[in-house]
Parts: sequence; structure tokens; C-alpha cells
Amino acid sequence: MIRAMLSREGRASSWRGLVPAAILALLALVVWQIVVIAADVPAYIVPSPTEIGKELIARGPSLVADLGWTMLEAVTGFLIGGGAAFVTAVVFVHVRIVERAAFPWAIVLQTIPIVAIAPLLTIWFGYTLVPKVAIAAIICFFPVLVNTTRGLRSVSSQAMELMRVLSARKASIFWRLRLPSSLPYVFAGLRVAATLSVIGAIVAEFTGADRGIGFVIVQASYRIDTRLMFAAITLSSLAGIVFFHLIGWIERATLRWPEARQHAS
Amino acid sequence: MSRPTGGDGIVLNKVGMRFGGDNPVVALEDINLEIAAGELLAVVGPSGCGKSTLLRLVSGLLDPTTGTISVHGKTPEQARRDVEFGFVFQDPVLFPWLRALGNVLLPDRILGSRNPAHSPRTERLARRLLSDVGLGGFEEHYPSQMSGGMQSRVALARALIYQASTLLLDEPFGALDEFTRDRLNLQLIEVWEKARATVIFVTHSIQEAIFLADRVAVLSPRPGRIVRVAHIPFHRPRPLDLRYEPEFGSLARELRALLETAPTTGEA
Repeated sequence: MIRAMLSREGRASSWRGLVPAAILALLALVVWQIVVIAADVPAYIVPSPTEIGKELIARGPSLVADLGWTMLEAVTGFLIGGGAAFVTAVVFVHVRIVERAAFPWAIVLQTIPIVAIAPLLTIWFGYTLVPKVAIAAIICFFPVLVNTTRGLRSVSSQAMELMRVLSARKASIFWRLRLPSSLPYVFAGLRVAATLSVIGAIVAEFTGADRGIGFVIVQASYRIDTRLMFAAITLSSLAGIVFFHLIGWIERATLRWPEARQHAS
Repeated sequence: MSRPTGGDGIVLNKVGMRFGGDNPVVALEDINLEIAAGELLAVVGPSGCGKSTLLRLVSGLLDPTTGTISVHGKTPEQARRDVEFGFVFQDPVLFPWLRALGNVLLPDRILGSRNPAHSPRTERLARRLLSDVGLGGFEEHYPSQMSGGMQSRVALARALIYQASTLLLDEPFGALDEFTRDRLNLQLIEVWEKARATVIFVTHSIQEAIFLADRVAVLSPRPGRIVRVAHIPFHRPRPLDLRYEPEFGSLARELRALLETAPTTGEA
């Protein structure tokens, strides 16, 4: 009872917790507006927030269509990369030798700058969805892999002993102990991956695309259309934030035990 | 490996346990012990004397370095595979994503038809066990919404739901206040008399050991050796205020003296 009340209060205060951030953002926008007007900065260098707002409204429908395309790439890559990472982590935890053989290469994959692979993939697969989805998947892979592996291992030795006393089979240990223990970690990885996937898709669009928000940004930069660039950047960042919170919402809906909620931020 | 000696109870024959590594530790040395089927044996000793190790050896979670163990004529490993042990650990080891009822039902969910008590009404049994340990009304609480004492009681109910022939209890009530402990001790005796299980109860409380057990094995620290196995002469049922009888007090004093004079190797 008390706990339930506390958590409800906690949720209300998390909304109230957003107030300082909102005030800061508002202040920054006001200062930006004043500086741009007072210093008479040309709009093609730094447009004022109100001009960006006007641009967002004017180009809204077409920008949203491009954003939708980018999000399709990001979410598909997120699902493929996250899913592959999850399966890999399960294999790692059960077959140590595979982990020892493959984990160093997962790190190598992580250290290759995606900006460098993106043009390669574009050469191979052209202006299709494939390079964007692939980049988004690659960028999602590592955080989900590391977190899931750690989560699957976060089982106490006494809990394992309990399972052995119950003569539990491996499948049973996995479904009833390892998987539930890992879920808060898995979601932590997925939340990071969600924002990264949007960035990955946009970067891939830079190197060859005929639509998408990344394509819009590159095209606008050729024309020094700063207003459009800022509008597109604002939208893509908003999309990343929404994706991030969507995962958080799924997490809260899935993991119902109290500590899991403390992990989720 | 170990030769089953046959018979009903638990037999430990010259059992020794050494942990390797950089600082090898002899946890147990030359343990000879026979526990009759249906007996309640308490093992008492200071912390670090290998009491928990003893339970892990009997239940096949660890293999002894030397000696043999027989559990109802089987090796500990076989007995563990046949799910003959109910184990209550020092920590409650509840799954935080399961409510109290779900935690009690866990063994049944894992064992399925291998649980002798399994039936469509196992959930009723789980509810009854929870109310037996004084947790009626807390079925839907998550472990983190319960006190440490309540969690220990859930763990006890969980060990009882599959009617194991042998119960191994590792200081299960160590974290509880005296009143709760008293009540759970009475409940444990009730359960034990009903189930006719063989019980090894590890504790560091001499009073608790004498109150509960048919016999008390006193262990010396590092390496753990059995200093004495004392028969407890009191008839059952034992009332709680038995502990204030002079006979009880003198027996407790006697065992305490054994612990205090027990020879130690290494640091004092």
C-alpha cells in the first residue's frame, strides 16, 4: 500500500521533475532569440527560434514524411540489431568458448567508425533501405549485447544453487531465472540503442539517399538553407527522444515488480 | 564415487572438505555422523566453522574432498537429482519478479509432475503454507514489499511445497526477532512431525538448537570438526518456556563451554 502510493507519487514528481529542464530550455530559446536579433545575425548563419518554428510549420508535412522514412529505417535496424545482440548474448552465456572467440570481434565492430562503413554499404547496396537499416542495426548491437550478457549473468550463486536443488533443467533455469533477472539490463541497453538507431539511420542517409531526414539535412546544407537544417535537426532529435521514452514505457508495462521500476529511469 | 552404505538415514563417513585457491582452507575435517530418517539434527557452531558447507555436501551441491556421504542409500548427487532436498538458504533467495505466492509455487512450476504434491490444486496448498507461516493475506506482495523476516518465511514455505524427504535449513531464522523466531520454531516442529522429514538445522544459537533438535552436533571452528553430538532428553511437545528450566540451562551451558574451549588452529 505504502509502496504503491510512493510509486504513484514518484511518477507525478517525475513530471514535475521536468519543469526545471523546460524552464532552462525556454530561457535558452529566449536568449538565442535576443542575441540573434540584437547582433543582427543573418538567418543563413543562425536562424532565430521563431524562424525555425515558422519553417517547421511551413514544411511540416513533407518533413514528417521524411522523418517517417528515417524512423522506419531506424526501428527496423533497432529490431534486427537488438534481436541479434540478444541471441548472441544468450549463446555467449551458455557457450563460453563462443564468447571468448567472438567478443573481441564485437569490440572491433564497435570501434570501426560507422561514418566509414556507411559509404561502403552504399556502394554495395545503393540507394536502398539496406545500408541505413544495416548501420542502425550495427550501432544497436553492442550496447544490447553488453547489457544483456551482463544481465543474464546477474544471477546470484544462491539462486543457482536453489535451481540445482530443484534439479531444474537448463531451459527452466533460463526462462524462470536468467531471463527475468536480465530484463532490467536488457531494457537499459535497448533505451541506449533506441536513440543510437536514429543517429545511425541519419548518418547512413548522408552517404546516399533520396529521402529521409538525413537526406533533407544534406540537401539543405548544399543550399545553405540553415533554417531547414535546424528544423530537420529539431525533428530528428524529437523522434529520438520519443523512441527512447517509448522503450521506457514498454519496460514499465512489462516489468511490474517494484525494483525493476527503480532501475528504470 | 562414494559408495552408498544403504539404509534409510544420512551417513557421513570421514568427510573432509578443503577449498583450494591461493589460501587453501580446510572447512571440514573427519566428520562422522549418522542421522536417522525422520530425525531432527541441529548443527551448532561459531560462524566460519563449515556449517553451511556441511549442508552443501549433504545436498550434493559440493563434492567432499575426502570421505563418503550416503543419503537414503543414494549418493548426494543422485538424491539431489531425485529432488529429495528442501533447502532454506541463509538469504531468502526469493525471485523479485514473483509475488509471495509465485515464489512458493516456483518449485512446483519447475518440477511439474515430478512434485509428489503436484495437482491442479497446488495453489491451494501454497496458500495454506503461506498462512501456516503466518503470511495469510500477503500472497500478492512482492518480496521487496516484505520485511526480511517475512521473506525468510516465504522461503520456508517454498521449501515445503514439494514434500522433500530431507530438509536442510541454513540459519533460516537468523535474521528474525525473537518472537517471530519462536513462532517459526514451533511451526517448523509441527511441519516436521507431520511430514516425517529428516531435518538438518544449522544455527549459531545453542538455545534454538536444543529447543528444536533430537540431537545437537557441536562443531569447532577451522577446521570444522564435531566436538560432540549431544542427545537432547526433553520430551515432545516442548513448551516454549522449557528454555527457562534449569535442566535446559545447564545443558546449554555445557554445550557453550564446549564451543569456547574447542581447540582452534591458526588464528585464535
